[in-house]
Amino acid sequence: MELWYTHLMRETIDQDSLLVQGNRACALGALDAGVRFFAGYPITPSSEIMEVMARELPAVGGVFMQMEDEIASICACIGASLTGEISMTATSGPGFSLMQEAIGYAIMAEAPTVIVNVMRMGPSTGRPTTPSQGDVMQARWGTHGDHPAIVLAASNVADMYRLTIAAVRFAQRFRMPVIVLADEIVGHMRESFSPEIAGRYRLTSGDFDFTETYIHPEMVREVHPPHELGTLIHPHVTGLIHDETGFPTNDPKKSEQFLRELHDKVVHHRGELCLYDVKNVGKGRVAVVAYGSCARSARAALKLAEQEGIPVEVLHLYTLFPLPVEIIQELARRVEFILIPELNLGQYAREVRRLAENWTTVVSMGRIDGNLITPRDIVDRLAELVGKYESA
Amino acid sequence: MAEGESSVAEQEPSVAEPRTIDHYLHTDRFPHIWCPGCGLGTVTAAFLRAALELGLEKDRTVVVAGIGCSSRAVGYLDFGTVHSIHGRALAFATGIKMAHPEFTVIVLTGDGDGAAIGGNHLIHACRRNLDITTILFNNNTYGMTGGQASPQTGMGGYATTAPFGFDEPSFDLCRLAEAAGATYVARGTSYGVRQLQKLIRDGITHPGFSFIEAVTQCPTEYGKRNPPKGPVQMLENLKEKAISRKKAEGMTPEELEGRIVTGLLHRDESVPELTASYARMLERIRKSADE
Amino acid sequence: MSEAPAMTDGLLSSRPYVEVRFGGSGGQGVILMGVILAVAGTRDRRHVVQTQSYGPEARGGYSRSDVVLANAPIDYPQIQGLDLLVALSAEAARKYAGSLRRDGFFIFDSDEITSPPPMDANSYGIPFTRLAVETTGRTQTTNILALGAVAGLTGVVSVASLEKAVLSMVPKGTEEMNLNALRRGLALLPEEWKRPSI
Ligand SMILES: Cc1ncc(C[n+]2csc(CCOP(=O)(O)OP(=O)(O)O)c2C)c(N)n1
Ligand code: SF4
Repeated sequence: MELWYTHLMRETIDQDSLLVQGNRACALGALDAGVRFFAGYPITPSSEIMEVMARELPAVGGVFMQMEDEIASICACIGASLTGEISMTATSGPGFSLMQEAIGYAIMAEAPTVIVNVMRMGPSTGRPTTPSQGDVMQARWGTHGDHPAIVLAASNVADMYRLTIAAVRFAQRFRMPVIVLADEIVGHMRESFSPEIAGRYRLTSGDFDFTETYIHPEMVREVHPPHELGTLIHPHVTGLIHDETGFPTNDPKKSEQFLRELHDKVVHHRGELCLYDVKNVGKGRVAVVAYGSCARSARAALKLAEQEGIPVEVLHLYTLFPLPVEIIQELARRVEFILIPELNLGQYAREVRRLAENWTTVVSMGRIDGNLITPRDIVDRLAELVGKYESA
Repeated sequence: MAEGESSVAEQEPSVAEPRTIDHYLHTDRFPHIWCPGCGLGTVTAAFLRAALELGLEKDRTVVVAGIGCSSRAVGYLDFGTVHSIHGRALAFATGIKMAHPEFTVIVLTGDGDGAAIGGNHLIHACRRNLDITTILFNNNTYGMTGGQASPQTGMGGYATTAPFGFDEPSFDLCRLAEAAGATYVARGTSYGVRQLQKLIRDGITHPGFSFIEAVTQCPTEYGKRNPPKGPVQMLENLKEKAISRKKAEGMTPEELEGRIVTGLLHRDESVPELTASYARMLERIRKSADE
Repeated sequence: MSEAPAMTDGLLSSRPYVEVRFGGSGGQGVILMGVILAVAGTRDRRHVVQTQSYGPEARGGYSRSDVVLANAPIDYPQIQGLDLLVALSAEAARKYAGSLRRDGFFIFDSDEITSPPPMDANSYGIPFTRLAVETTGRTQTTNILALGAVAGLTGVVSVASLEKAVLSMVPKGTEEMNLNALRRGLALLPEEWKRPSI
């Protein structure tokens, strides 16, 4: 059970059986990944992450701070990160909006940190205790300017634990902020956490491993060496466009080169960053692409659809960005259409359509009433679409 | 200090010539962006002379700034420097100081950066009493963006966004800091550089949150719209308006109208410093876990 | 992984996928019932998901706690049809009875719910509050007594796991009292409380 580290193991209720709340699992994952600095501001439905950190971080000699707002929270995390500390914050929509400018700073200054956004219905205060996937595009494009993004999406309690670890590793290796998206359901539910779950919800990816040996920063193209304040390098860190010295430049060539390198370090490692799982690979007439809570509905729908004579392939994405271009395009070549159930009005479907429309039809299935999309909903929609395309 | 690293003092020959503030400057980054006659360089130099007096180590000192003409100072300083985002320098500094209490952490900010967009962080930083020294360059305007009104523009002052005269009162930033919990509060001007240097030096050695307001001139943007015109005249004006705290004590509010009260205004050593209290809490937790 | 403890004989224990809802009003300990059942189910080596009402829904007087127990990892986390509804308030009975499957179980507090909704499911009306006061002198043990009855009547989790779960979840110093309540609930005879189905 190598995935289970100390903090998680302490949760066992009976030998190796575990029942953990999603938000708690996220905090435990952070602790097991070595997060030793947390700054946050309370907000439903993410506060439990902060509360667990408040209790557990001091015990491992870490720093916990409740800041005056979410802007201060992420800025403190970046500050700590610049000294070499592994830092994290957690929030929900309104707080995530406040953090955007600083997220751009972390991208620009190549400061690793992790931001967990347990999504609620929005915009604005929305419905705080209601699940949603409305922040997908904000996670990708929330901060201004052309920039890369690494965004992961958790579908169950096991994901809250292991994707938080993955986020910490990615952040350190790629020296940038990594965003973990969860939703109210995943954050608040308690779920048994067994190796069987990890086996069923596989993270199919090149060579991702959860151990610290994964981080070998020299492998990723660096714009400049890692900042470490308080060392002999005594670097200058800035949000201005800068060159390899770390100091600002207005040189057009250097500016472009810098921004391209920021992008390339992510895009060139897409194979490594894109975590996903395919069910029924090559056996579906049609496909469902889903992430987060909706991926669970899609997996349940797979069984139901089979019983009803519709062979379906399910692509469950854990990494939303960078876009899993090759994975989606391969799938697009195999199926008659792709259905995308989401708790928003088709934010990710638009991305998938962009990638897949040369080969197949992409149909968005959005729900924004605060309820989950049920397996039945998905199967009914599939049947309807199969009928439609058959008669056409 | 980690093994293999050495302090600046060790690297330098022991019988070195007396250092100048160039020791702490990236002179290769000059010419700087400031206008001729601007007071920001004067205040920065006062800080650097205080740093020399104290022998601050480059690798153990982190200077954090926000955005603005004043905050650009960090681009020329040879410490660990962070040019952060507008208004948030204190939040960055809080993360740095909490993660590494052994660093000397200095924040450079402007009146817009520190008192408008960053006002909330300022009062909370004061309240926490972290051992950070904040130098707020007050030039009564938004210099960098072209002379818009700041909270410190003052009633009747002119700005590009107050073309008919500003009709909002200002903060008394030092009283604000004191009320919010800062344990060292002082004010100086770019005219009284010796005093300013001393106030900054004492602020850095003070174990707690230190707030130093440095009143300075922006001839280009503020001076263009408000009398007196010209850097020399503005400096003379600062000289005339400045009055020491001692002298001010015997004066009526009417007499003090328009004056700049300078010197150490508040000091309290009885309030626990945050990194120290946090370390004590960790110790308590460790002990109870051992039991 | 060690052997799962043997389950009590009962109808829900043999179902590979069981959906349970506890409903009541705030302060009745309904959320805790769900969590305890989830812990017990986990001890039984079942896969478990527990969700509950939060925020305004939970504060408006309602309280709801759902548990899915299954032999394989659970995909869809929410209730699709109830195998077991435990209602401690008339409001909860009215609101949720429609989700019960025909072969489900409906267990309610007959002190609180005097005119239960008619249904095909196996119905048991039990004066939980009164029994709790008789047994421990405390209304606060009603939820634990009801949990005992639920396990005894339906076998949804094993008795051994439930006892351990209760002991680990109730406030320190109340273990003895809660165990008494739990055992009283476990001892209830189905024949005595079963209602004719309509
Ligand atoms: C979020 C945000 N809003 C606005 C700006 C534009 N801006 C840059 S500097 C500045 C004002 C700086 O004023 P002050 O802190 O007084 O510094 P000075 O330039 O006068 O030294 C503003 C509004 C910004 N960089 N970021
Ligand atoms: S605009 Fe004003 S504050 Fe900025 S550099 Fe010029 S004189 Fe100084």
